[in-house]
Amino acid sequence: MYKVTQSSTLQLKNSAKDSLKIDHRSYEPNPAFWDEYQGLDGSVRPHWAQFAECMSEMGATEFDRRWQSAQQIIRNNAITYNVYGETKGAERLWPLDPVPLVIGEEEWAHLEVAIAQRAQLMNAILNDCYGPQNLIRQGNLPAELVYANPNFLRPCHGIPVPGDVRLHFYGVDLARSSNGQWWVIADRTQVPSGAGYALENRVVAARTLPNFFNQHSIRPLNSFFAARRHGLLQLAPGNRRMVLLTPGPYNETYFEHSFLAKTFAVPLVEGPDLTVRDQRVYLKTLEGLEPIDLILRRQDDSYCDPLELRGDSLLGVPGLLGAVRAGNVVIANALGSGLIETPAHQAFLPGLCRKLLGEELRLPSVATWWCGQPVERNYVLEHLEELIIKPTFPRFGLKPVFGADLDQKGREALRRKIEARPTHYIAQEPVALSTAPVWTEEGMSPRHIMLRAFAAWDGHNYAVMPGGLARVSQSASSLVVTMQHGGVSKDTWILGRPEQTPFARLMLDEGDTTLHSPVVTSDMPSRVADNLFWLGRYAERVESMVRTLRTVLPVLAGEGDVIHNLTLEAVLEMMVAYTYLPKTVLKSPMGEQLHQLESMLTSMIHDPAGISSLGFNLKQMRQAAWPLKERLSSDTWRVLHQIEMEASQPARPFLGKRPASLQSKLDQTILLLSAFAGLLADSTTRGHGWRFLEIGRRLERGLQTMELLSHGITGPNSEPAHLELVLLVADSSITYRTRYLTMLRAQYVLELLLFDETNPRSIAYQLVSLTELYDKLPHRDGAGLWSLEKRLALKPLAAVRLSSAEELLQPEALEKLLSQLREDLYDLSEALTGRYLSHVMPSRLVSA
Amino acid sequence: MIFKCSHTTRYTYEGPVAHCLSEARLTPRILENQRLLDWSLAVEPKPGSIISRKDYFGNDVSSFAVLEPHDRFTVTATSTVEILPPTAELQLGPSWEEARTMLTRCDQPDLLEASEFTWESPFVPWLEDLSAYANAVLLPGRPLLEAARELMQKIYREFQYKPAATSIETPLAEVAKTRRGVCQDYSHVMIGVLRAHGLAARYVSGYLRGDADFQGAQASHAWVSVFVPGLGWVDYDPTNNVMPSTGHLTIAWGRDFGDVTPVKGITIGGGKHELEVEVRVTPKQH
Repeated sequence: MYKVTQSSTLQLKNSAKDSLKIDHRSYEPNPAFWDEYQGLDGSVRPHWAQFAECMSEMGATEFDRRWQSAQQIIRNNAITYNVYGETKGAERLWPLDPVPLVIGEEEWAHLEVAIAQRAQLMNAILNDCYGPQNLIRQGNLPAELVYANPNFLRPCHGIPVPGDVRLHFYGVDLARSSNGQWWVIADRTQVPSGAGYALENRVVAARTLPNFFNQHSIRPLNSFFAARRHGLLQLAPGNRRMVLLTPGPYNETYFEHSFLAKTFAVPLVEGPDLTVRDQRVYLKTLEGLEPIDLILRRQDDSYCDPLELRGDSLLGVPGLLGAVRAGNVVIANALGSGLIETPAHQAFLPGLCRKLLGEELRLPSVATWWCGQPVERNYVLEHLEELIIKPTFPRFGLKPVFGADLDQKGREALRRKIEARPTHYIAQEPVALSTAPVWTEEGMSPRHIMLRAFAAWDGHNYAVMPGGLARVSQSASSLVVTMQHGGVSKDTWILGRPEQTPFARLMLDEGDTTLHSPVVTSDMPSRVADNLFWLGRYAERVESMVRTLRTVLPVLAGEGDVIHNLTLEAVLEMMVAYTYLPKTVLKSPMGEQLHQLESMLTSMIHDPAGISSLGFNLKQMRQAAWPLKERLSSDTWRVLHQIEMEASQPARPFLGKRPASLQSKLDQTILLLSAFAGLLADSTTRGHGWRFLEIGRRLERGLQTMELLSHGITGPNSEPAHLELVLLVADSSITYRTRYLTMLRAQYVLELLLFDETNPRSIAYQLVSLTELYDKLPHRDGAGLWSLEKRLALKPLAAVRLSSAEELLQPEALEKLLSQLREDLYDLSEALTGRYLSHVMPSRLVSA
Repeated sequence: MIFKCSHTTRYTYEGPVAHCLSEARLTPRILENQRLLDWSLAVEPKPGSIISRKDYFGNDVSSFAVLEPHDRFTVTATSTVEILPPTAELQLGPSWEEARTMLTRCDQPDLLEASEFTWESPFVPWLEDLSAYANAVLLPGRPLLEAARELMQKIYREFQYKPAATSIETPLAEVAKTRRGVCQDYSHVMIGVLRAHGLAARYVSGYLRGDADFQGAQASHAWVSVFVPGLGWVDYDPTNNVMPSTGHLTIAWGRDFGDVTPVKGITIGGGKHELEVEVRVTPKQH
């Protein structure tokens, strides 16, 4: 059995698999259900024959070994999905079963036509409901299903849609009943998810089982995505600049959003990255506002525009609908397309298909009754125990009820509810889902299965993905198939030659070679730069904190440091200067001093609430990092995760023990932080994003060092113990000793930590870096003139260069310079954020 | 009779607003007994442009954006409106049960259009309490016109006018329970009761002439319109217990307050804000 364990990894129990033979006779599906793999007589179905042959050639051991490596691919690509209801940001690795769902060529040919027909029908219904509403006028569709439907968005009525396409992308859940017939369980017309996961499943499967792909004729998926992109670009006005709009990293399928953005080579943006000016949509980038012509959205209808749709939505783009209305932007799928996801519509599809397309509906929906009609209502009331009862309009908190699960009393209560408000209920017949084999410790075992298929507008027609996202139930007995409840996915193999599809040539026709080698776009959304800036600041703040704590800790243990001249007194004085400890501690008896220092250190390390604690700052750091998920490599992400784990362990009092474990923990954190910085430096291109990360880091390091110097250097005769402490915290003790070969003197410490432009820990170094970084940012200032930011960056650097250590050791001179430098850096920070990141502000709705 | 109306909405913000995007429904509708002689909209600070359109319900919408930083924002609509007296006495029309049946069939264009106002809406959910509230009024065979009038009187009698008791966010269930509120709450209650019985009722926003002794004359007002098959839409003002004629000026209608909010906007920045609304309707003598 594969399990999703707490640590979010798929693990395989060690078992003696070598003895396992792939023996098809041991696969025993329940004959009450259709089995995809095997007929009732126990023979392998013809379209699986080749797969079965490949399997036995390979053998269980090899298959299993390859499967292990496939899971490594999943981990390396960090293929994840988020689970609602768990802590924010809880993600799981994408569970994939190595045995595909195989569908024969001929059977798929029927399904393909039927799915395309259904997509066309859905689009036609949408166009009517958001246009002339003839279907309601002529009685083909009950008025209530539109007018009372919370997904009927009146502000979207009459909005222009190029090419009469409202439904650019369509998803449909299919299941097969025990007689072998396929049924539609649900239609997904708003923001259908899963196509990206299906493509990712294929990538993993193709790498794991290349010989299967060599020996089979399996239709590839690429051309479908090319067709989809082509269809979108056909409809976009202007320069056809496209973005993918995501609700953000907490969304269930965020991985897919970022994967699709890469596949289509378009920027992945959140609502606040976009702005509407004069009924045009713009992406806020560091270079300024870039016009956008097409929005591929994964955000629900009603959240897209807080001005005209849901006012409480912080995710949306105010004025978006106005831009659509003016014909300046195309949104796919069109806003309002969630209208026909309601299952009640399924009861009317056969009639609507005849009326709108002049054809019979090719693929039946699972039997559906809307209780708003008297005959249907009576049928439902008489057959409650055989049906699934659902609210007509799905709403949060209302769940489907299986009539069979209710006792007499429960059924009576339900009956009364339906009779009181019949139009609010629909009933559907449950489908006895077919089974398909999954790979378990014992070999192949049957699970119930559902298939989500997809269709996309290709510019002329609906193209159907030759494949899909197959999902199976968690256990052999469970009929519940959903990724939210521990389901597992499968690759879907459609047999047949790739030439069959006219879209295979699309990429060549368009000269479009970008599909799998995304071009690097220079559009860095300002929000991303803002996050990187803060990530840099927090990472540096955490590092500086850990260094301070690590330096102070040995004193607590009473360890006479043989190399360094640290004293308890010097440490206490500095902690008082930082206001971590009250002044009174300096006059307390030594036992009390140690006690206070100890509790200060404990709470600084463990207390997550205190704003000067390590835990708090690590949390801030992770919060700044989280929205950058798709921009950080998985290794970087793992290190960050580890740092957080280190910090979140519960407090353990020292209890008189030597705090060696604490020491090693801080050492470990420093190592992880360096690893984090190194990975970032290694895996980030030196674009504007990197510059903002560096600006944040340099700014913070400058500020931290200024604070350290102002607390640690009191004049020309500063005590060696104090100077030692300053050097240790600034990680420059060794540099000092190799360079000066002398006793500690305040003048040299200042030279090293304030003036030396080659020491990466000095203030001057940070100031030089800041001016260099600023010079590389995009500028729109007049030629030859220095901008405000440039002047603000040069001012503190000039002040440092024009000072000397001797002068600064005069009373109050150092303090004066440092406080001026601090102010200059704050001004610079404000000017930079104002200039580049100013659009990063929350919006809200006011009304009167 | 001719009226001059002015409607000012003023926001004062604690901090600067970087950017604001607004929508206003402040244009009086043109109706059989209401003529719009003159209308203008002034926005301060000046927006780039003001774009006009009609919404789903046929109301005029003006949208505009202020892109410069500001800490005060004022929208003033001024209009000259002529109100004509009703042309004929109302007939009694069908019983409320007949009206309900006709609305279910909705085989006429006006019935279909009216049927949109028989369902729940965001501010007017279906409530068991409201459904039962009508029992004493919706007697078998009673003409809808008369039943609605009695419902209006019942609400006027049993609810208490309390300006500070509710806000836009107060749910209808709470209003139904405490029986306190302002014109908006009175109207939502009456709409909710009628819709619970399959009848069509819409929310109307507008002004009251300032010289009459009406509740709510200094602000924008709201009342209810009920669809009576054969007669059309008939207005009821449960806050003042009158059937509006020449004293009510219609601005916009929709399913509930949410569809006709006079001024709404999205601001970037600004912090806390203070809001002042001033409505003046004065008869103009010739």
